[in-house]
Amino acid sequence: MRSLRTACAAVAALVLAGCAAEPSGPAPVPPATERDQDALIRYAQRVLVDGCLDRQGLAVAREPSSPQESRRLRDALFGAGPTELSLALPTGHTVRAHTDGCLAAARHALYGDQRRWFRAEVTVNNLSAEAAARMRADPAHRAARARFARCLEAAGPTRTPGPEQGVEQRCARESGLASVEARLRPTRLAEVRLLRRDQLTTHTRLRTRALHRAAEISAAYPHGNTPEKGSASP
Amino acid sequence: MTLKRTLASAATAVLLLTGGLAAAAAPAGAAECPSGEFCAWENADFSGQRANWSGDDHWWESWIADEDSSWANHGISGPGIKDHVRVYSSANLGGHMTICLAPGQEVNYNGAANDDGDSHTWAMSC
Repeated sequence: MRSLRTACAAVAALVLAGCAAEPSGPAPVPPATERDQDALIRYAQRVLVDGCLDRQGLAVAREPSSPQESRRLRDALFGAGPTELSLALPTGHTVRAHTDGCLAAARHALYGDQRRWFRAEVTVNNLSAEAAARMRADPAHRAARARFARCLEAAGPTRTPGPEQGVEQRCARESGLASVEARLRPTRLAEVRLLRRDQLTTHTRLRTRALHRAAEISAAYPHGNTPEKGSASP
Repeated sequence: MTLKRTLASAATAVLLLTGGLAAAAAPAGAAECPSGEFCAWENADFSGQRANWSGDDHWWESWIADEDSSWANHGISGPGIKDHVRVYSSANLGGHMTICLAPGQEVNYNGAANDDGDSHTWAMSC
C-alpha cells in the first residue's frame, strides 16, 4: 500500500501538471471489455486519490489515530463545507456532492467536467429507481401491492430476518404483484432510457474520455511498477 | 460484513450519542459519516440518530427501517471494491430500489420517498 501511495503521489503531480498529456510513445489502448474498463478507471482514480491524500499526509489505508484525523481524512477525501453539486431526481431524492476534495479532483482529472459527469452519473445510476417509481404509480401496481400487503398480513406478523423468504415469494405470486412487475418493469425502463437519452449519451462520452485518461495514467504507473518516492516529482 | 445483530443494542446507544454530537457540530450540508461507510439518518439534513455500515445489511434495525430521511455514501473506491450503495424499500433487498449512490454522494432529504428504506447492499455499480 505504501509503494502504491508514493507512486500515486508522483503520478498525480504529473497529471495535474499536465505532463501526462505528452506520452513518449503511442497512446495506450484501453481494454475492450466493460469489466476491464471499469477496473482501469478504478485503478487510475485510486492512484489520483491516494496521491492527493498523500500530499496532505493522509491515507485511506491507515486507521485514523483520532476523531480529528478521521474528520480531516473525510474532508480531504469527500470535500468540506456545503455541497456544490446537486441534482433533483424524479424519485424525489436530491443527490448532492462536493466539488472539492481528492475524490472530486480525481473525477475532474478523469472525466474533464465534474458538473456534467455528476449529472450524467446520478441520472444513469438511478434509471432503474426512476422506472420503479413510475411502475409504482401505475393503478395495476397499486392494486397488486394492496393485495400483496393483505396476503402478508394474513400470513402473520412474525417474519424473521434471514434466508426464509417463502411467505413474501408466495404472496408476490398469489397477489399477482410478481406478474404485474414482470409486465410493467421493462416498459417503464425503456421509457426512462428514452427520456434520459441525452444523459446516457453524455455518460458514454465522458466515460470514454476517462478511459483514455486512465490508460495514460496506468501506462505511466502500471501495477507493481512503483518508483521511489519523489523520483518523478516536478 | 453485516452489522452484527448481537451488537445491535450496544451499537444503537453509541450511534445515538454519535448522531447527537454530529447534529450539534455539523455545519449545513456536511454529512458526518466515517470514511468507508454508508450512513442513514432518521432525520433530514444528516441529523438525529445515525446508522452506519461498512458492509451490507439486509434487515435494518427497527429504529432506522422505514425511518430513514437522509443518506450518505462515504465508501472508498478502488479496483475490485464494491463502492456503490443500493437502498431497497423492503428487507432482503426486496421491494424496489429507492436510490443508488456512488461514493461521495449524499441526499439530505426526500419528501416523496421519506422513511422508505429497509435494506441495502454495496455493489460495483448501480
